[in-house]
Amino acid sequence: MTDTLAAPTANTGGARFVGQRVQRREDLRLVTGHGRYTDDVVVPGMLHAAFLRSDIARGVINSIDVSAARQLDGVVAVFTGADFNAEIREHWVDFEGPGGDASPFRVLADTDVRFAGDPIAVVIATSRYIAEDACELIEVDIEPSTPVIGADAALAADAPVVHAGRADNIAGAIPAAADPVLDEIFANAAHVITETIDQNRYLCVPMETRGIVSQWDPFNQELTVHISTQGPHGVRAYIGRALGIPENRIRVIMKDVGGGFGQKMFMIPDEVAVVLAGKRLGRPVKWIEDRRENLMSGLHARDDRMTVSFAVDDTFHILGVKCDLIEDVGSFNAAGSSSIGFVGLLFPGPYKIPRVGFSAKAVFTNTCGRCSYRGPWMMETAAREQMMDIAARRLGIDPLEFRRINVITSAELPYTTAAGLVYDAVSIDGSLEQAVSMVGYEAFRAEQAAARAQGRFIGLGLGLYVEPSGIAMGNMSSEAAIVSISVNGDVTAVMSSGSHGQSLETTVAQVVADRLGVDFERVTVVQGDTAATPFGPGTGGSRSAVILNGAASQASGDVRTKMLEIAAHVLEAATDDLELEAGNISVRGTPSKGISVTEVARIAYLRPQELPPGMSLGLESHARYTPNAPFTFSNSCHACVVEVDAVTGGVKVLRFIVSEDCGVMINPDVVEGQIAGGVVQGIGGVLYEEMAYDMSGNPMNTTFVDYLLPTATEVPIIEYGHIETRSSTNPGGFKGMGEGGAIGSPPAVINAVADASPTSSTGRSSSRCRRRTSAPPSTLLADPAE
Amino acid sequence: MKPAPFQYHAANSAADAAQLLGDLGDDAKLISGGQSLAPMLAMRLVRFDHLVDISRVADLRGIDRNNGTLIVQAATPDVLVERSDVVVASVPLLTKVTPLIGHFQIRNRGTIGGSIAHADPAAEYPAVAVALGAQMECLSVRGTRMIDAADYFVGIWSTSMESDELLKAIHFPVWSGRVGFGVAEFARRHGDFAIAGAVAAVELDSGNVISRCSIAMFGVSGQPERALSAESHLLGSSVGEISPEEVGRLAIADVESPSDDANMPATYRMSVAASTVATAWTNALTEAHHG
Repeated sequence: MTDTLAAPTANTGGARFVGQRVQRREDLRLVTGHGRYTDDVVVPGMLHAAFLRSDIARGVINSIDVSAARQLDGVVAVFTGADFNAEIREHWVDFEGPGGDASPFRVLADTDVRFAGDPIAVVIATSRYIAEDACELIEVDIEPSTPVIGADAALAADAPVVHAGRADNIAGAIPAAADPVLDEIFANAAHVITETIDQNRYLCVPMETRGIVSQWDPFNQELTVHISTQGPHGVRAYIGRALGIPENRIRVIMKDVGGGFGQKMFMIPDEVAVVLAGKRLGRPVKWIEDRRENLMSGLHARDDRMTVSFAVDDTFHILGVKCDLIEDVGSFNAAGSSSIGFVGLLFPGPYKIPRVGFSAKAVFTNTCGRCSYRGPWMMETAAREQMMDIAARRLGIDPLEFRRINVITSAELPYTTAAGLVYDAVSIDGSLEQAVSMVGYEAFRAEQAAARAQGRFIGLGLGLYVEPSGIAMGNMSSEAAIVSISVNGDVTAVMSSGSHGQSLETTVAQVVADRLGVDFERVTVVQGDTAATPFGPGTGGSRSAVILNGAASQASGDVRTKMLEIAAHVLEAATDDLELEAGNISVRGTPSKGISVTEVARIAYLRPQELPPGMSLGLESHARYTPNAPFTFSNSCHACVVEVDAVTGGVKVLRFIVSEDCGVMINPDVVEGQIAGGVVQGIGGVLYEEMAYDMSGNPMNTTFVDYLLPTATEVPIIEYGHIETRSSTNPGGFKGMGEGGAIGSPPAVINAVADASPTSSTGRSSSRCRRRTSAPPSTLLADPAE
Repeated sequence: MKPAPFQYHAANSAADAAQLLGDLGDDAKLISGGQSLAPMLAMRLVRFDHLVDISRVADLRGIDRNNGTLIVQAATPDVLVERSDVVVASVPLLTKVTPLIGHFQIRNRGTIGGSIAHADPAAEYPAVAVALGAQMECLSVRGTRMIDAADYFVGIWSTSMESDELLKAIHFPVWSGRVGFGVAEFARRHGDFAIAGAVAAVELDSGNVISRCSIAMFGVSGQPERALSAESHLLGSSVGEISPEEVGRLAIADVESPSDDANMPATYRMSVAASTVATAWTNALTEAHHG
């Protein structure tokens, strides 16, 4: 379903490819199993690394004895924190900048261990098998102590500190500001509804785990790193600072990457240890993180708790909200992993909420550190959308009606939120109504009543949100493209950031082909190699459609202009009278009078005498682009229908509908693929996935037997609705939407499970179906204990 | 996730495998499909100095009907059981439960004997063996002996076989006449080990009186659980005399030590088990009626 079609893109080239379901160029190699991932990189003389990790969550290291491990046949070296930790000169990533209260960091545990999985030593051997054998020969004496597990333990008055030398376990905080106006609103409100929303710890779980092959060439003093990452330039800059190697002596190569979702935005200590080991030995070293490592120590995500209060008037308008958030960021959290600032900023989301009070704490615990995960701030939507249902039930109205009363309508645009964000080109109420129409809301309510009469329990949940895509601030402000047409008329777009599943090889080529008026097949996209590409921050913040394609569009526009000028000169026509289409430039109305793009390219490089006087040679442009706003807002509404089995508590997702407005769609297949991936992660996070710790700090879900991912049999066919409201922040009218699928789906699923309960009208289900996970038996509808 | 070093032995025959087990003693482990053992080895949860591979042993693969008995050789892959015409004509309960085991990739490699000898309490094949009173043909250098399924499963991942014995074949009795079979289970995801499940078999006489029946549950305790008192109530009763829900209640009453943990309290697991018994029983009755 598409409500609005994109307007033709005037003066910027035609739209032959943008908007089409162009077959993904990546598919041939990826679908047939011929992608090239980090583990496919094999270098002569390559050694293999394995880590000895702590199985104790918190304790003092009395001694480490690696002598037996060093003697095992095939072992080349064993390194500990004593070998490496003093080597690190500067530890900060571009995203954070130098100084400040940087995240705690060390390459390997030295004085103490701080989570189960903390790397203590790295063995370098001729095979991974031998390296793992040697790990068993390392003798470590650790004096265990009671770990800090869970936010309550971290905040307890007598809590031990996770990181020695710190005063407490506070990783970051936003104190509650005195707000007499808000207090007045709450004091006089007809209704005040308060609830605490929990979110379980669940993880990015990329299909490809981390991996790195690091080659130090002592004779050229050059470092080459193949790595599974979201941002090779960030890796290069970080290694340069950390190890004191000039950036221009480092080459970082990212080939196919089997997903990142935030986990691979920045290097982790394990990867730094591999680089250090290879440099020390002067030999290439490979480390492929195995699945248990990825689950146990490859960085975690989510794990939040938020208390939300709504002040509502007697006509069900929300007058104000107060929120208090606690994030558990584990021990060694990644840069940008705490989202307390964004959660407060974005909380009002799609609703007219005049005043917001927000306070938050991020706390350290003796667990694996937190990283960004697809919509790292999504607690704003997860909590708000659950609260919309909880509040509606307590107020005695339908959750849809409550949303309709408070939603920001298109007639009210531009709208400035309580936090000062300005929405202009969004269709929030349009998404809500499209999703409601697709799911058949009224008919569902009748079906639900009939089902209950038969002892079947079905429920419908909504998740409405505004997504802050194209995040352009700090190191993420820009992207660059080098677009050139070579002497044979073929087009190369060299991009500053690359794809780890976002289909940029296809979508960038679509945009460039349209701007240059050439066939899609003539455009090749180069990405992921710092030796070839200009600086870029890597993927994150749903930036690529807006910012990377903005750069591609700008550079292509320069080349297009130059092509037209050359053609105008050759054809003795005005550039305004020229048409550029399908690789040919002709005079409008006189199709016989024309010149091919290839011919223009040959003039540009081979026959300078035919160029307009004074024009430089070549057909190439290097452009760096930043959008004209720090956020490009897209919007979406998810609707989920579930059936809950009264005996087993088993939840079956019957339907899942997403109405999405990401502006002009470059490729609807890619848009829908992005939505689907995010929705599946949300369904998983609610119904299947949980990384739990016991009170001793042991991770309980370190294999796929215990950490359950949804599979094809658990996920319904997802139904898509599209609205295309052109964005004003960039010339293509694009908006990002890469994270939204994972933001809107969790509350939609949770709300649907709650809605299935026959007691939901009393509000009791709000606490029953609140998270940790909505897995059996917690999803049982009739708990005899209550 | 690489296993500790081990010596690999490819057995040529069942007798050869038995000889290797006899020679190598407790330091040896049989491997066939490796669907449970290989991950445990890779995570170094278990280690053996010797692995004896029986996956290519011809006389450990195959399915034969011998009068009233179906004999399935132990290293027969699940997928061959699932698709066998002989199996569906002889012991259709095996055909019904096999698709519930993992995913097809797992069933391509996993073997029926591996599942039974591994003795996971939540596995389907052990419950079928217990329900139907299968005989386990066990081979060692000391000879062959038959163990009744009722005596074979003694606890979690534990059987009454000696460490030098290999499971050679499973002998399933063939039920004939007006018979029906059913299976039901509840798992978090399709293909996962069940939180609880049940299989049921029934034979009706011409007057719709239950002349023979068997019910076994899996996932509920340390081993498959036969619902003997439920069966004795059902035997001689007419169809419909005892409701499926009552059958479920009777069945779980027989479970002496139900599995109990913080995530899955015993009361919950037993209520799921009762529900699966009711469904499996209903399916079996329906099939006996119309089959």
